[in-house]
Amino acid sequence: MEGIGLKILGALLTTIMAFAVGMTYGGITRKLTARVQNRVGPTIWQNFIDLVKLQSKKTNIYHGVMGHFAPMWIITAAMTVLMFIPVLHPNSTWYSTWFPNLTFHGDLIFLLYMMVFGSLGMALGAGQTGNPNSAIGVTRGLSQMVGFEIPFVLALVALMVQYKTTSIQDIMAIQDQSGVWMMFSNPFSFLAALFASLGMFRYSPFDIVGAPAELASGPVSEFGGKYLGVMMTGGSIFAFIKLTLYVDLFMGGAYSIPELLIKTFALYMVPVFYGWVSPRYRTEQAIRYFWGWPTALGILGVIIAVW
Amino acid sequence: MNTLALIILIFFSGATLAYLSSLISNKLPGWVALLTTMTGTVLFYMSFQNEQALSFSIIGLNLEWALDNYTILFAHIIFGLGILASLYSVQYMQNKSQQGSFYANFLLSIGSMFGIIISKDFISFFIFWEIMTWSSFLIVVWNGIGFRKNGIWYMAMSAIGAYAMLTAIVLINSEIGTYSLQAFFNAVQENAIDNLMLVSILLLIGFAVKAALMPLHIWAPRAYSNTPASYTSVFSGALSKMGVFGMGLVLIRVFRFSGLQDNFDYALVSQFTSHVLAWLGGITAAIATLYALVQKDAKKLLAYSSIAQLGYIVIGLAIGTKLAVMSALFLAIMHAVFKGALFMAVGAVERQVGTTDMTKISGLIRRMPWTFFVTLVSIIALAGVPPLSGFVGKWMLYEALITNGNFFLVVVVFFSSTAAFLYSYRILFGLFLGQEEDDTAHVKEAPATMVIPMVILALFLIVTGTYPGIVFEPIAHGMEYLGFTDVTWNMTVLSNVWGDSVNLQYVSTTIGVAFMLALIFLTFKGRKGTRGVSTKDISTSGEIPLEHENLTFQLDFFKPFERAAAPLYKRSITKIYEDVANGLEALFDFTRKIYTGNGQTYAIYVVAFLVTLLIVVQNML
Repeated sequence: MEGIGLKILGALLTTIMAFAVGMTYGGITRKLTARVQNRVGPTIWQNFIDLVKLQSKKTNIYHGVMGHFAPMWIITAAMTVLMFIPVLHPNSTWYSTWFPNLTFHGDLIFLLYMMVFGSLGMALGAGQTGNPNSAIGVTRGLSQMVGFEIPFVLALVALMVQYKTTSIQDIMAIQDQSGVWMMFSNPFSFLAALFASLGMFRYSPFDIVGAPAELASGPVSEFGGKYLGVMMTGGSIFAFIKLTLYVDLFMGGAYSIPELLIKTFALYMVPVFYGWVSPRYRTEQAIRYFWGWPTALGILGVIIAVW
Repeated sequence: MNTLALIILIFFSGATLAYLSSLISNKLPGWVALLTTMTGTVLFYMSFQNEQALSFSIIGLNLEWALDNYTILFAHIIFGLGILASLYSVQYMQNKSQQGSFYANFLLSIGSMFGIIISKDFISFFIFWEIMTWSSFLIVVWNGIGFRKNGIWYMAMSAIGAYAMLTAIVLINSEIGTYSLQAFFNAVQENAIDNLMLVSILLLIGFAVKAALMPLHIWAPRAYSNTPASYTSVFSGALSKMGVFGMGLVLIRVFRFSGLQDNFDYALVSQFTSHVLAWLGGITAAIATLYALVQKDAKKLLAYSSIAQLGYIVIGLAIGTKLAVMSALFLAIMHAVFKGALFMAVGAVERQVGTTDMTKISGLIRRMPWTFFVTLVSIIALAGVPPLSGFVGKWMLYEALITNGNFFLVVVVFFSSTAAFLYSYRILFGLFLGQEEDDTAHVKEAPATMVIPMVILALFLIVTGTYPGIVFEPIAHGMEYLGFTDVTWNMTVLSNVWGDSVNLQYVSTTIGVAFMLALIFLTFKGRKGTRGVSTKDISTSGEIPLEHENLTFQLDFFKPFERAAAPLYKRSITKIYEDVANGLEALFDFTRKIYTGNGQTYAIYVVAFLVTLLIVVQNML
């Protein structure tokens, strides 16, 4: 019983860390983007300030039961996925002393599907608000997802087929044994997954889903107050999850929190940097982009993996 | 009297009775049908655990009927869906005319489906197969709308399938001298059939038509969307599974466990055929999904989605490993459940609102909350998102493909199931979300007898999402009949041959706990300041739309995606068939120029022939 209590505590700690890291990365990105555009920009804690503001709103409105449920779906998906991803390497001392969370040994196929759970809830909530911009944003988001999932799945299939496992922990263990990160042993798959991550994070050029000027932020446009606050929290956790997944799969996982932070931040800067120098793609251009070189690289990765 | 014969008899006499009762009152047939399916179902469930067999001979042909575990698996689908659909049907068909012929055919097709699966000889198999085809055909053309467009494609394709099957049956009989299925399987084991591959492929063609496999699928969207919803749920849910039933027998029992895998040629051809079928299944899934997401009519959308889902099932059967077959049979059952529920839900909308055109309706969620709930649950299961049972089937299919080394096929499957999110959202949004319209303000929830069957199906999806073992048990027994040995399964843990696993109980518990926490937080925090507003109360760039304006986005829903995938939309199988038909017509026109039917022309031919002959003979001499 005590073990379970400790694990739940660890799970809570993991969730809080995921939330804090995700929010801070978002803040840092805002600051950096502002400096690149020669603005002063907000502080790097701006996201926390925004969240406190949103949560302290006295009035909140919703447009129906799905609008009420949508933020719950997002945060539920985020917390569930977090429980199935090894945040730290299971062999590390940090893991056993600080984060003995409820790791249920994530299976990659399961995670792929579980990560969609939140988007689906978001889509339904946005649909019920009755704002046409929200629905338009959702259709764009879903279409774009079909685009980037192809190279992403190709990359994962390459790993799964080559090492005959679908478990993340096994893939981490394999990197431990060989001493080579997957990003070097399977470079093409890594590149395909990296391209896919550009779409996942929805920075420019793939930010048409919530294009601020055109769609009034798209899917989230009718959400405010505590609802938007919860969505932000879920979104931040999700950003952390995606990064951790990439670190686990391609960079050998992390043995300590600082290591995790360095690796995830380095990864996070890829879509951010790419966004700074790219104009916005239309949806069909974005899909075509993902079905072009990234998919070709992914196929190459699979062929090499099978070879 | 033997129970099997009794059940068949009940359904067939029920069909007659339903028709006759319509002469008294148009309301009666629905109740007769419900009573008939109830009796049949109760009778089946009371006796299915006993060994049952029946054999008799008519005009020198030995007919054998028997129950086995594989049969029972499909009988669950037929009776489970049949009884719910007939309960649903009573109120659904309330104000429609000509109910007598509808219910007669409804019962005939349920009875004949049961007949197909219990048949242990080709003669009764084929007879029941044809009764099923004809009764469903008569329902497709029942409302008299678009007879040529809808009916003829179905009939033409079914005829192709039936002729292929009949040829195969005649070939088998000429080789082994009997029509018994068991004798056929035995002969396969002993390698006593010379053109086994031809026979198998012909049989597969016959089954592929009903399973709507590319390129024999073109009847399906039209036929599914043109039948009354209470029958469509059976049509798409159970009747299409008859194709799966047959394919399972051929692909697993004949191809995989024939004992002929040592024979090199045979192994090569059977593996090649299986691979072709698997890829056909994949292409079917992908293309049908692409077509589903551009549909404007909810029923048509579901029809295309049915084709796509059957594609997955065919893949599983064609791959033929233990996990793959298990996933195929699991998906077959789940498809029957969620597609049955979805067609019922869309039927409820059709009955209450009068149309299923998604560009005409929107915002029904508050008017029809139960229907929405059922649709939502079924769609989540269809999309394969955890924690509902659709995920279980999808997971097993993916793992089966990956562990078997079909890595490109898995990407095709993944593409189509990701694209399936698009049409999943389309149907939920199109019918239930968006702004509420004044036209639909009066709409009420469907009557209880329609809602209850749907909700039962939805609850089944939720329960089996955490405890799929309930369904694994009959599947495992069915697979043992097909020839697999020690099929293992677990109540809540899924695992593949590499030893990776997912514990569904953990998944649902985590989701449940997280969801409850979020629910409590969001509902109770600042409860006084939280209020719901109408869907018209929105801000669009500072403008507030007027009450009578409807801004719901419905037309060209996925236009950007269509543009991106434009090359995939270019070719249409229907057009190819029509081109072939036109070509044939031109050929026949040309033939008509020769065979004019005019005696004088024929006389000229005779003279010309004789003259030619004379010249040729003279030259040769």
